Amino acid sequence: MPDALAYDRVALRHDGALADAVGPVSLALAPGERVLLLGASGAGKSTLLHAATGLFPESIPGSRRGEILLGGCPVESRRPADWADTCGYLFQDAAQTLAGFTVRDEIAFAPENQGIEARRLPGLVAESMTRAGIPQGWADRRITTLSGGERQIVALAALLAQGAPVTLADEPAASLAPAAARRMVGLLLAQGHAAMVVEHKPGPVLDRIDRCVALGRDGRVMIEGAPRDVLRHHGAALAKAGIALPLAARLQLSLPDHINPDLPLQAALARVPPARAQWLRDAVLPTPIPSGETLATLDGADCAPAFGPVVLRDVSLSLRAGEVLAILGPNGAGKSTLAACLSGLLPPRAGRRTGAPGAVVFQNPEAHFSRESVRSEIEGLNHAPDRVARILDDWALTTVAGQHPFTLSQGQKRRLSLALLAETDRWPVLILDEPTAGLDGAAEAALAQRIRALAREGRGIALITHDMDFALSVAERAVLLNRGAVQFDGPCRALMRNSARLSGAGLLPPEAAPVLGWLEAAC
Amino acid sequence: MLRSFHPLLKLTLCLAWIIASLVVFRLSFQVALFAAATLLLIADARVPPLRVLLLMVPFALFGFGFFTTSVLFRAESGFALQMAQEQGGTPDVAPGIVLFFRVLACGMASAVFALTTDPGQLVRALMQHLRLPPPLGFSLMQAMHIVPDLRAEMLELRMARAIRLGRPLRRVPAPGEAITLAIPLLAYAIRRATRAALSFEARGLQPGRRRSNMPQPPITWIDWTLLTLGLAALAMITAVIHTGAT
Repeated sequence: MPDALAYDRVALRHDGALADAVGPVSLALAPGERVLLLGASGAGKSTLLHAATGLFPESIPGSRRGEILLGGCPVESRRPADWADTCGYLFQDAAQTLAGFTVRDEIAFAPENQGIEARRLPGLVAESMTRAGIPQGWADRRITTLSGGERQIVALAALLAQGAPVTLADEPAASLAPAAARRMVGLLLAQGHAAMVVEHKPGPVLDRIDRCVALGRDGRVMIEGAPRDVLRHHGAALAKAGIALPLAARLQLSLPDHINPDLPLQAALARVPPARAQWLRDAVLPTPIPSGETLATLDGADCAPAFGPVVLRDVSLSLRAGEVLAILGPNGAGKSTLAACLSGLLPPRAGRRTGAPGAVVFQNPEAHFSRESVRSEIEGLNHAPDRVARILDDWALTTVAGQHPFTLSQGQKRRLSLALLAETDRWPVLILDEPTAGLDGAAEAALAQRIRALAREGRGIALITHDMDFALSVAERAVLLNRGAVQFDGPCRALMRNSARLSGAGLLPPEAAPVLGWLEAAC
Repeated sequence: MLRSFHPLLKLTLCLAWIIASLVVFRLSFQVALFAAATLLLIADARVPPLRVLLLMVPFALFGFGFFTTSVLFRAESGFALQMAQEQGGTPDVAPGIVLFFRVLACGMASAVFALTTDPGQLVRALMQHLRLPPPLGFSLMQAMHIVPDLRAEMLELRMARAIRLGRPLRRVPAPGEAITLAIPLLAYAIRRATRAALSFEARGLQPGRRRSNMPQPPITWIDWTLLTLGLAALAMITAVIHTGAT
């Protein structure tokens, strides 16, 4: 039986680029096999997926060397749209690529394109909704009324209805709350169904895949093998290549004599001596920073987006200098609205906000760019030339100083947007909206250090995230939003140990939860 | 009743009313058409009267020039006089007032259609019955998706700008700000449309390919009856006004 998908010495280059985006790469996906594709930002993972059905270079301008076989046939033997019966995509930004006007339209779109009999379509749509866990009552809901996370689940149902034997998914769970992400991964990586998935955070998918393929920064296959073998024997190389490792793998790299990678983390921790408690605490928790004066306060505030209805009622919270606060909650809980109110950008509909002005670093960093080059963006802060040079250097942007901000990698864009707000004294309060979206392991670690450094300078930092481990690693305090109110406001560590409260809000405990349990028992 | 009326027959009826409004230069006809459309919006479509009034504002502003010229200055614009002459207007009514009510009547007839029709159902009906090419139909639906997302994008751009300038977010953008937002919003729309086109292609949509259609509500005898009644009412009003005039 031919491979479901095979790349044979494939190299891909975008039009106008001086070097290949990826390759030469040779790899195969066997029928029913589930492969996780790892790699740092810019390693060419998405381009490789786009080439599988010929979208690259047929619709995305570029050139290809080498051969791609889909179900044993050369990919160029059919047009990209014809391969929809063989290969289904779940795009990175699925929420923005929905075709239908209602949920029913959306799910029926691909089967309609395949010419499936009209009388079979309603049953197919209903079945896909059930499999994806979407209530049947949603069938007539307009797509525009769904939150980003809900749209992602609808995109999954549409993929299931497409019924293609091969699935390619590009960061399918990146914008989902943990519980929804877990359901998404379970359905995407069902046994017996060939799938290749790109994920920056391999943790949630590791148990459901058969093989890992890691691309190096040069766009070539660096490591390939069974997930446990890859993590056990090549963890250091993966980390060096900027790839995020699961917590257990990171701990094993540092404590090889104590952490057995074959055991679940909780069991593996049993062999760690209590003398290592401080080391473990430093590995998963932030170093305490003494907090100073109160910088911003919301008092009985009703928060609403501009021109929208109130989504959070009677919110009372404050942010102090030196404090990092994690704002957590399910998709659509009102986290971004709270951020806008806390920063003072949007006045509360009721109650009041007092304190220093705040700035929001938006999830889409491009919103902050308005000039033709990275250097001129920094120069716009009105600093002396030597200070501009130092800022570029500090934020690792010197090598791209002449580039247009829109051409930077996701990590570089994130750094530039944060630098624009952090390198001025104007904003004592900084709020970061999903700052880890699209970042690889190395960029995320660097961001965590930046956040802590800003807090040490005396800024008050609030952080909106779905990434519970990241929240735990940088924030001392957390608020949990759910059902239009603040349900928890207290130590981040305490919230992460409260799995009942987290699951009530569609969240899951972090990977580091067993370490927290161990620390409590040991100290 | 109007909301369940088949979109294509409803479109036919509304177009017939609008065309009649454009060819009959009688004040009583325009007022009757305007009143009928307004009543339908309030009584059948359950649109709150205040919203109906707000809906009238842009149409009223459009026809206001004719109205003020005619009523306040006791004069008529050349355009109004020419229209009255060409369309058989009566000398006893100022042409500017007829034109003012014509704008309102056409506007309200359009509002009846727009506020009682599901845009997705309309596009699907056009694809199914009038052979609108599916790539064009789904592009239309995508365009309808982009509108609210563009608004969200614009708000984020405005907030980022307010942060950069160190001032609170204005409720309404100043003209200068609106102009500078145009290019980033256009860039966003182009990027978004490119991604959507890729997604459509990856999911099997291509020009000329035979595709099936999710079963849609059929055109029933009730729809035909409503169309007939609407056309009959239009004919009756025209006849009554014509008789009265002669």
